[in-house]
Amino acid sequence: MDRCSGAEVEVRQAVAPCLRIVSSSRDSAEVTEALRTIIHYLEGGNASASEKAEFNRANYTRVLQVLVSSLSSDWFHSLPAQERRELWDGFFLRGPPDQALLVLLDTISSTSDGSGLDWTVSVLESFLSAGRVGMLLWSRCLETNGRPDSVQLRETILTRLSSLPDLTANRLRTNTPARLLPQQYYTDLARDVLNTLENTCRALRAGQDCSLGFVAQLLGKVCMQGHGELVCRTLAPRLSSLTRSDALWRRVSCKLLENVPDRWVESVITALIHHLHGASALSRVMGNLVLKNKKVQFVLTHKVLLLQYQHPTQLLRTVLGYLALDHDRRPLLKQVLRSVCQVWSNSSAVRHTSLDQQLYVSKALLLCVNLLNQTEIQELREELLQCMLGGVQCRLDSSTEHVRRMGMVVGECLSQKLDTPTSQLQFQYEANEESRELLSLMEPQSEEEDEDEQQQQPDDAPRPQPESSGQSAEGQSMMSQPPAASQTSAKPAGHSSDSELDSDDELTPYDMSADQVKQKATPPRYVRDCLEALMSSDDPERVELSLQTAEELLRKNVSTAREVSVQFSKVLLHLEDRYSTAGFHTLRQSAMVALAVIHTQPVVEYLTTEFYSLNYSLRQRLDILEVLALAAQELSEPITEKKAVSQPVARAVTLEQCGEVEHWRQVVEKRIQSKTRRISKGASQPPKAAPNRYAPVAAYFFFPLLRNYDRPQVTFDLLGSDHLVLGQLVHTLGLLMHLAVNAPVATQMGKALLDFVWAIRFHADQMVRRGVLFAVCAVFLSMPGENLLLELSDDLVETRAWLADVAESDPDADCRSLAVQSLVLLEKNLKTHLQSPSMET
Amino acid sequence: MVMARPPPDPLFTLRGSAAPVNTLQFHCSTAGRPLLYSGSEKGCVHVWNLNNRRAERVLEGHDGASVIWVSTVDSTDAFLSQGRDMRVCVWDLHEGRSAVTHSLRTGSVGFCQCSLLEAETNKTLLALPAEHTEEIKVMELASQTPVRSLIPDSKQGMLMCMKMFQAESGPLLCAGYEDGSVVLWDVSHGRPLSCLKAHPEPVMCLDFDTDRQKGISGSSDKTLTSWIIDSQQNLQMQNSVLLTNPGVSQLCIRADGKIVAAAGWDGNVRVFGWKRLKPLAVLQHHKDLVHSVAFSNHPEASQRLMAAGSKDQRISVWSIYSES
Repeated sequence: MDRCSGAEVEVRQAVAPCLRIVSSSRDSAEVTEALRTIIHYLEGGNASASEKAEFNRANYTRVLQVLVSSLSSDWFHSLPAQERRELWDGFFLRGPPDQALLVLLDTISSTSDGSGLDWTVSVLESFLSAGRVGMLLWSRCLETNGRPDSVQLRETILTRLSSLPDLTANRLRTNTPARLLPQQYYTDLARDVLNTLENTCRALRAGQDCSLGFVAQLLGKVCMQGHGELVCRTLAPRLSSLTRSDALWRRVSCKLLENVPDRWVESVITALIHHLHGASALSRVMGNLVLKNKKVQFVLTHKVLLLQYQHPTQLLRTVLGYLALDHDRRPLLKQVLRSVCQVWSNSSAVRHTSLDQQLYVSKALLLCVNLLNQTEIQELREELLQCMLGGVQCRLDSSTEHVRRMGMVVGECLSQKLDTPTSQLQFQYEANEESRELLSLMEPQSEEEDEDEQQQQPDDAPRPQPESSGQSAEGQSMMSQPPAASQTSAKPAGHSSDSELDSDDELTPYDMSADQVKQKATPPRYVRDCLEALMSSDDPERVELSLQTAEELLRKNVSTAREVSVQFSKVLLHLEDRYSTAGFHTLRQSAMVALAVIHTQPVVEYLTTEFYSLNYSLRQRLDILEVLALAAQELSEPITEKKAVSQPVARAVTLEQCGEVEHWRQVVEKRIQSKTRRISKGASQPPKAAPNRYAPVAAYFFFPLLRNYDRPQVTFDLLGSDHLVLGQLVHTLGLLMHLAVNAPVATQMGKALLDFVWAIRFHADQMVRRGVLFAVCAVFLSMPGENLLLELSDDLVETRAWLADVAESDPDADCRSLAVQSLVLLEKNLKTHLQSPSMET
Repeated sequence: MVMARPPPDPLFTLRGSAAPVNTLQFHCSTAGRPLLYSGSEKGCVHVWNLNNRRAERVLEGHDGASVIWVSTVDSTDAFLSQGRDMRVCVWDLHEGRSAVTHSLRTGSVGFCQCSLLEAETNKTLLALPAEHTEEIKVMELASQTPVRSLIPDSKQGMLMCMKMFQAESGPLLCAGYEDGSVVLWDVSHGRPLSCLKAHPEPVMCLDFDTDRQKGISGSSDKTLTSWIIDSQQNLQMQNSVLLTNPGVSQLCIRADGKIVAAAGWDGNVRVFGWKRLKPLAVLQHHKDLVHSVAFSNHPEASQRLMAAGSKDQRISVWSIYSES
């Protein structure tokens, strides 16, 4: 104690006069002399250890402050660079790094632009490059129970270290040197952390105690501030490879993570699992942290799996594999499986979460199930079964093909795990990228993991080479294959190649070009014959031929077609595909469209009445809507030569293939595009003007469809379970509305349509909501601006709020984009309207 | 390259059978007038004189039931006709007579035609379809004694067609069944020697060329398949040819082994080279299914005609590849 206080006095007495000289003297030689005196107390100086410690404790910061204040003094400027580096920089680089760092940063933020600032920054740079941060961290590690550091100081150093790039950039702006930019700084910081950990290991082996508290806090704080990505990119692979062989490293890394304060641990863990490939790596680095720390447990078993869905599949695999890897952690895996099951089979989640999230949860479920062993599956069988049945059912009910397919794939996979081979679920679906990915999750994973770890080593070995060589080999084998055998020589039999060769050749063949596929029946030549055949014939070929020629016949014989139009429509509407005729739906549809175009009013009246009448299947009702839409479309187009006949057919084909919704939107988008193009080109040859055939009859198409929608029948409940038809109906109405642009009746139509869709705008089915938004778009596009605003005036604010809400939070991506589109249209309408002078009159 | 010749027209057409023609048989070996027998759906057998091209006689012995097979028996100068009244009638046509000497009951309700084998041993065998749809009965014609009954073990379905022929070891029989398989039977021992799944559809017809040990079968689909009997008496697939339209009702190999004719359901008669099934001609004449096709056994090669009988009630007679 005495010695200590003795040293204190001694050092103060030695340092104080020097400082006075430095701060006040004008004689540079004198100043230099004074500094050289103080330098003894720094690292590498020849003062005694106790004197050094005392100097570091009480005087160092003061010295630095004095030095900083002398930045603008004459002697500083008169110092040659060499000496300046030694006398001035040396003080910062050879003392306790925490104090130096604080002073440097304070100086940088308080000094105005000038050579002083530049010098300080360069000193800070050399501070960093000299590894002083590493020194700092290490010094903190050693203070296991020593100096009870003031919490405030510790906190300050932590903040400065973790946000050094921000602090410097605030001051230096664009002049910040590369070393102080986040990219470089945090990578270096991660390296320093690693070095510190390495030192720790070494110290522990030597029997010395270390504290990882500060490093852990620093790590937490940095990750919290969003730099986890940068840090862990360097940290994680090294940790993974170091922990592989060394148990001590494993302990140290677990300890490090344990010491991260709870409030920051989430960001550290998240960043870490993003950069650790493979469950075993995570297990090595984290140990059983998930069991010890509630927060980590929540993140890994709940948040990453069920609340977030932006992570790659690899991460899911890592996390779930980590849970499965250790015996103690397996209960957690079961718990996870239970909660994932619950979410997956929740019908409300199916309706209200986005497709991406559903896919993510499905992946998690499959991975989880795949990790279970046989006894665990038996244990969880009941729950899994419930989950499978509930989840598959509510997905199959969905109107989106995507969701249905997901349900089918997951259902099949679960059933494969749960059931005996004979009683497994089997669905028919078209495999796509996504279903294949889901299926691939069920394959055992062990090899891949090793592979991942190898890939983790930072060499980019030219892997594609063997693949490409394989391909070329394949190509060669393809090339060397003999050309396709001709039809007669299926087998080059050895018997025929004996003496009796060529005897065929004396017989010269006759011309065989007339040998053609024979058609037994002839196509009907009259409309009435055609109708007759469709109505009553039992000859498949005749029916097929009649169907094939129906459209052509009708379009050729317009007057006859008018006489029987309604009857013909009736027959076609009720026609069933009894003989599985190729392209049945297309042919029937095009014939019905032809009828609706030729004799619009009665046929459309008939169809719209039938739409709401009893005893039709959903398919027939959908057919009616499609026919109406296509007919309206054809009517609204100018008559072109012959092409018009084939066009609707081609479209109808695509309609059969893809989902109807996409189809309508595509058609409309195409139309919008073609329109805008025409306007922008301008100079191109204007099409010949022709009266729009659709405008006068638009009302016949439109209003009857709005008549009975709220009257449920025994077989048809539009607002209830038959939302598939409702969605299609709204789409069709939207299309009819869109085609009626510039028609006088458009205003009334728009009014009625808005009223209609207003009632169903919060429908649970996304198809319907898409339809609603599509219809709204169509109204905004087609209804004259002033009428629209007049109509909307009361609801304008509410409409905008609704659209904005949908645009922001609807789970369906199409709904969101459609809502944005309608908002844009609405704004445009508003703007033109408010600017137009017609308003004032 | 010279343009291919247009296909020939029929030499002449025989009308007047007043019913779809089911089966044909030439009889030109004896000196004098060449004859053509035809069996019709109305139960008549017409005997056509090929010199004046008229029906010489009409034989009615099946009570109006469709006649599905006719054949002459060279050794006894008798004549056989098989009808769908489940009988085979044996006729005596000597010296202007036209009387049924006796008839054999088959019991078969199917469409399978009988097959006659006149071996050198002066023993004439007749293979008949029997009451069980898959069974074949073989009997000695003269004594009407049954020789064998051939029933396949496995399920091959109904018997569709057959052809009996003489081999060194004794009489053999090729039979086509409903499931598309062709079975080679050893008649003297009554056991199957080999089975070949020649078609996915029922075998509708087959013919066999004893000189080359090679046969051909047709089905209700678009392929004709040829097969051979190897030295171990196994059937082996050899060649196949694709037709434009499906369905063949009869196949006939010409006695000289140069060509084979197929009666198509599309109304065309197709001619192929027999060695490699090279398509040679498509003869378009009939307006309906061709039921039967037959080659003449005229001693003079240039007089060897081909006849095709169709559901359109006509018989077309052709001269094809008969020069040289």
